[in-house]
Amino acid sequence: MDRFVFFGGKGGVGKTTVASAYGVQCARDGLETLLVSTDPAHSTSDVFEQRFDDDPAPVDGYAGLSAMELDPDEEVERHMRDIRRAMSDQVSPAIVNEIDRQIELAHRTPGAYEAALFDRFIDVMRESDDYDRVVFDTSPTGGTLRLLALPEFLQSWVERLREKRAASVDLFEKAAVGGSEARATLEDDPIIRRLTERKETFEFAGRVLAEQAQFFLVCNPDDLSIAESHRAVEDLREAGLTVGGLVVNKVAPAPDEGETGTGATYLRERHRAEQARLDRIHAEFDQPVVAVLEQRAGADGTALLGALTDELDLDTAVDPQQA
Amino acid sequence: MSLSARISAYLDAVEEWLHGLYHGMIAHPSHEKIEKEAEDTTDVFLFACFADAFGIPSPVSYYTAELLPYLAEEFVQWERRMWDRESLVERKGQQYHF
Repeated sequence: MDRFVFFGGKGGVGKTTVASAYGVQCARDGLETLLVSTDPAHSTSDVFEQRFDDDPAPVDGYAGLSAMELDPDEEVERHMRDIRRAMSDQVSPAIVNEIDRQIELAHRTPGAYEAALFDRFIDVMRESDDYDRVVFDTSPTGGTLRLLALPEFLQSWVERLREKRAASVDLFEKAAVGGSEARATLEDDPIIRRLTERKETFEFAGRVLAEQAQFFLVCNPDDLSIAESHRAVEDLREAGLTVGGLVVNKVAPAPDEGETGTGATYLRERHRAEQARLDRIHAEFDQPVVAVLEQRAGADGTALLGALTDELDLDTAVDPQQA
Repeated sequence: MSLSARISAYLDAVEEWLHGLYHGMIAHPSHEKIEKEAEDTTDVFLFACFADAFGIPSPVSYYTAELLPYLAEEFVQWERRMWDRESLVERKGQQYHF
């Protein structure tokens, strides 16, 4: 089993619960586990009834389990502050004012949020040596998938920028005919250095995601969620990432044979429809269904987690041997 | 003035003229041309980095903003050049001094 395990899926299917239960299970099996929530609407705190923030903190009552919630907004702010600081070291205040608008702009674009989240992703992967297993509870499908497809895309973009920059620096060098000082040189151009660093970071992320990561899609037995999972599987495959399997969550239980009330009839009907969809899931996806979890009414937080963990245990026991 | 002094003064003048000719006809125009070309490449580079400064959404501007501290002056000049530039012909024609 891979070191990095991602749980993704449509909003509201129960990713956080499944990811948390899986994290608890890994910890119980003796793996030092880190649970990372990347969903802007953090609910890990609700599951464990404990506040988490941007730094890993041990989860009360679970030995070997730590959790953290990534905050892209804070990361965007930090990034902007760093640039402003570097700026005031480098250039005159007059220029800083002129450029401030551009910095502001770059950090307010929709992509900034994703880029920041992605940066934190990479940080977590880089600094995960203390953990045997890192479980990511991701934001709803679209956003996460775009995020995971980023490395290759950004890498080629940065590479093109680097080439452009190298070409212009080269021309500036050539323009310095007859001993006059070139405006920039290839060896000590800070721009090329920065771009190269960036490129290496993206390469690292792409490699780790392709080689050491496993994805699980959480879905419910309803048509929308199944359709979404199909798209997700396709996108992940296109991005060259491994989909380990599906977790079907919130399956309605069947009522007892003898019951005939309105509630029982409704439940029986619903159970039948969902079983049909479950069969469809089994038939349509190449990926195995690693767990089928029943819906529970009323239970929440820690109680639910305990029960879920037992249920999940059945199929996620692919783990013990480390990759 | 002795003959040798006059000859060497003459040679100096010739050398200065030749140097001037070389500079004016070959070194300077090519220098100017290459530098313009370098500036144009820089413009393309800057545009690829900060297309959003002109209202075109760019997926990498978050990352390229990191380069601003080193590009600050170039950036300001570039922004001005981009708004001012009238046409490519006008820009390319600048090297001919009529």
